[in-house]
Amino acid sequence: MTENTNDAGRFRRTLIGVMTVQVVTLLLLWWLQVTFTK
Amino acid sequence: MHPINWLIVIAWLAYNVWDGLRRSKNTHEMEGYFLANRSLPWWAVGLSVMATQLSAVTMIGGTGQGATDGMRFIQFYFGLPIAMVILGVTLVPFLHGAKVFTAYEFLERRFDARTRSLTALLFLLSRGMSCGVIISAPAVVFSAVFGWDLTLAVALIGVPTVLYTMIGGVQAVTWLDVKQMALIVFALLAIVVTLLVKLPVSPIDALHIAGAAGRTRVYDFSFSLTNTYTFWSGIIGGTFLMLSYFGTDQSQVQRYLTARSVDEARSSLLMSAYWKIPLQALVLLIGVLVFAFYVFTRPPLLFNPAHERLLIAANPGTFEVLREEYQARLTQRDSAARMLAVAESDSARETAARMFKVSEVGASALRDEALSIVARATRQPSRDVNYIMPRFAIDHLPIGLLGLFIAAVLAAAMSSIAAELNSLATTTVIDFYRRWVRPEASDAHFLFVSKAATGFWGLFACGVALFAANLGSLIEVVNRFGSFFYGSILGVFLLAMIPRARGIGAFVGLFAGMAAVAAVNFGAPSVSFLWHNVVGAVTVVAVGTLLSIVAPPRMRHPTPGS
Repeated sequence: MTENTNDAGRFRRTLIGVMTVQVVTLLLLWWLQVTFTK
Repeated sequence: MHPINWLIVIAWLAYNVWDGLRRSKNTHEMEGYFLANRSLPWWAVGLSVMATQLSAVTMIGGTGQGATDGMRFIQFYFGLPIAMVILGVTLVPFLHGAKVFTAYEFLERRFDARTRSLTALLFLLSRGMSCGVIISAPAVVFSAVFGWDLTLAVALIGVPTVLYTMIGGVQAVTWLDVKQMALIVFALLAIVVTLLVKLPVSPIDALHIAGAAGRTRVYDFSFSLTNTYTFWSGIIGGTFLMLSYFGTDQSQVQRYLTARSVDEARSSLLMSAYWKIPLQALVLLIGVLVFAFYVFTRPPLLFNPAHERLLIAANPGTFEVLREEYQARLTQRDSAARMLAVAESDSARETAARMFKVSEVGASALRDEALSIVARATRQPSRDVNYIMPRFAIDHLPIGLLGLFIAAVLAAAMSSIAAELNSLATTTVIDFYRRWVRPEASDAHFLFVSKAATGFWGLFACGVALFAANLGSLIEVVNRFGSFFYGSILGVFLLAMIPRARGIGAFVGLFAGMAAVAAVNFGAPSVSFLWHNVVGAVTVVAVGTLLSIVAPPRMRHPTPGS
């Protein structure tokens, strides 16, 4: 039971991390485009 | 090639075989050989998922695409994190909880044996051929650029991979994937550092120069069904493509079936979701930096030396004229780039950028003309983009790093091939041999047959790879054939989650989906390939659901799982 709760907790944390990394990456790519593309 | 580079490559290949043999100690029964007794940690499975997807084509074709087309290819992967999250809460618990060896085994429990056999057969046909292509792509490039014999190049990639996959099973595949990913990332970072050191301008100026040629453009928000790389095709079409690949392709499903639990399996997929876009951006960025590097260092007219020789032999006069004009354009481009790097005011920067762009367009047109002459002579697309990075590596990477780059490309190829051989053997044994030929036999017998099947598919892939160089158009046909049913198989799995769906709906829906994809593929109406999976999956679900409802009860084949 404790192991399952830990697993579910890790899944939620990983999910939040994934979404954060994606948003940061997309924003960085946007910055790359608007700063350097002529 | 310098002996130190050879030493690094040979040492890496030898280590792979040794490590694979070491893993054979833990694979004495079929569950251990194919699924590692469902005992692997999520991070190792996650790295294996990533290594399986990242092939040598990504390493050499991806960087080449960055150099010629810029960053916009990254949009292709925008659907990947979304697909991973969807799979994590839908299909992964189904498949992992069902305790199956293959994804297709699940379809028999849910629908019927013919749906299972058809999807498994389609997988064997497409993956068997694509495995050969994965070996052949880097082998052909290496043989042209480094002057290796094609058979030697195929053997260098194929033989160690077949050996460690056959002997060590999924344990060897997964743990070597972890090390192969580490080597690939290290090599990519080392190449970035080398490029930054070799560039005569600052990284910011290099990006301004690349940006003036449009290489830093990432987003295209136009909504066009015929334009492949747009934000929307990436988000919608890409999501369906990634759902198909990670959710229904045994080469990926088998990775996360080895995880300890459903949650570890889900976390392994999310790990890939974490890193895929940043990693792919790094690959493309290397290509962009290679483009900037070649602004200040004269590039060859054609990066494939074999094609350059062909052009000289076929038409020496035309080649000389093209080369001279190309050099003149490059000189103009170099001057404009240096002006751009030192420009202090906005107007000076704009003028320099305009001059740079004009000379860049002129140089590109001359290169295109040379490529079209080669394509006419060889009656095949030139694919010069795949030769940019290897040519840069052999001409400009220092001793040691060239060996590391080749080892990393081999690692990328081997990790994909190993996972495919492993999954091809699993499907052959579980979905055909044990299902139809010999349902009752000892575990030792199935283990022996599994190893023989791995060896067979390895030999088959190497055979395809050796002939692939001469079968360019046929391979294209096979790959196109594969894309016909990718989305349709996803449709069958989506149908499996609809309670009212029945076997007859899945079986007929699969054919309807493939027919719909064939129609759009041949232009009725014309739709870019990233949308094919959407068309296939939606058709299967629509036709399958309808048939399940209207078909007479005797045709519905109710099954225990339904």
